Amino acid sequence: MTYCNRAACYLAVLKTGAVNSSSGSAYAEFGNTKVIVSVFGPRESKKAMMYSNAGRLNCNVSYTTFASPVRGQTPETKNISAMLHRALEGAIILKSFPKTTVDVFALVLESGGSIMLYDMVAAVSVSCIGKNLLIDPVSEEESHQDGALTITCMPSRNEVTQMTVTGEWSTTKINEAMQLCLDACSKLGKVMRSCLKEAASAPQD
Amino acid sequence: MAAASGTNDLSSEMELDAFRRLFPLRFHERHLLESIRPDGRPLGRARDTSLSFGAVASANGSALAKIGCTTMLAAIKLEVMTPTVEAPDEGCIAIDFHMPPICSPLIRPGKPAEVAPVISKQLSDTILRQESGMIDLKELCLVSGKAAWMAYLDIYCLDADGALFDAALLSAVAAFSHLQIPVVSLNDDGRIVLVSEENGGSMKEKEPVNKEKIKLKMSSQPFSLTCILHKNYILADPTSEEESIMETYLTVVLDTNYQLASLNKPGGPGLASTSSIQDCIVLARKRVKELQQILGEAISDMEVD
Repeated sequence: MTYCNRAACYLAVLKTGAVNSSSGSAYAEFGNTKVIVSVFGPRESKKAMMYSNAGRLNCNVSYTTFASPVRGQTPETKNISAMLHRALEGAIILKSFPKTTVDVFALVLESGGSIMLYDMVAAVSVSCIGKNLLIDPVSEEESHQDGALTITCMPSRNEVTQMTVTGEWSTTKINEAMQLCLDACSKLGKVMRSCLKEAASAPQD
Repeated sequence: MAAASGTNDLSSEMELDAFRRLFPLRFHERHLLESIRPDGRPLGRARDTSLSFGAVASANGSALAKIGCTTMLAAIKLEVMTPTVEAPDEGCIAIDFHMPPICSPLIRPGKPAEVAPVISKQLSDTILRQESGMIDLKELCLVSGKAAWMAYLDIYCLDADGALFDAALLSAVAAFSHLQIPVVSLNDDGRIVLVSEENGGSMKEKEPVNKEKIKLKMSSQPFSLTCILHKNYILADPTSEEESIMETYLTVVLDTNYQLASLNKPGGPGLASTSSIQDCIVLARKRVKELQQILGEAISDMEVD
């Protein structure tokens, strides 16, 4: 078992335009975790819902059958879909597309620990094991954690959109962990920003 | 004639795009008259195809196949199972094809795509053919009557842009080429255990059951080409736009020796004549040669790394 003091995030690989048939898409890689996200819309809402002046955001996360080490043991996806929804809600100006829906679909190709969510919203989780704080834990580390903290924020505006704390934490530890998360979020935000800039400046085919 | 003169007047890109959306069939037929397709291909040419291996690190074998924009990710996971009484020295292969909502705007969560189970069945039929199939299930046997490999092949469509079966079959064949069977041995309780590389030395007294079977032998590899039949035209390797407009298509599957393994024309408004079927087979033969070369190059690239 390797409980290294890994105070740095995994190398993040980000590529936009992974899926041609979508309105927008990206492929992200954090260590062993690989995720593809497609965004469709704004388009007509499929479900017959009541008229709404603001647009709707619909998020869905699914796993491939080979995402987890043991086949068929996929984690609870409803929870993570809701988390993605809550994380993005604050960032999207829903008023700008009334009556329509934006669909955000994510497929986890391979899961190597914490799942990262994005769209200029950065998320970082920290595990607490004994006295150690581990940033971006792998699944093996997550299974031994005493407590977990996930912070989702918009780094450029310095606003936290979501914070989840579970398990046992001391006040000093949680302060330390929050600071660690926010720092990592702003770094991740920079990676995402430069990736998007690159994609935007690249010549369109 | 009105259609032809109409298209000539359309000068700006905006109007062209509008024409494409409003009169898709006319738009395509105008191209066919000039023996060219909207993406610049001649009628009989398939799109650029690429293959890469090992995209899924946690799987025993995996491959990513791209035909144009159509992208397929195939991964194989092996598990030990007890063979059935009827076939005590055979393993088993389970093939599943998935179309998650990320791959196309037409698919929404909770409402699976109708074509997914159809392609799934076609893939199973092609790969698990009796007798002259691609894989001899006896190759998957570990201890006769006691243990054999259960291979789960899952293919995910990451981007759907036509010719889904062709891309799925290519990724499946490539994943089997990449598959590495782990070395296992029988422990004292008669159960199969993995011989990992670290403790390989300490387990030396236990003879591995399958020392030499690291790669799966494949007697024949099937490759396919889907063609659209529209009037007198044959369009190889259609995009999703072409498939949605011209609905009669034919899929030809050939094996390594260019023998016909399967021919599928799932209905459609048009009928296939003998000569057009023969033309499709000729095109498929050319395409299979191309695909064999692409697979061969990808394998030799992998062995260099």
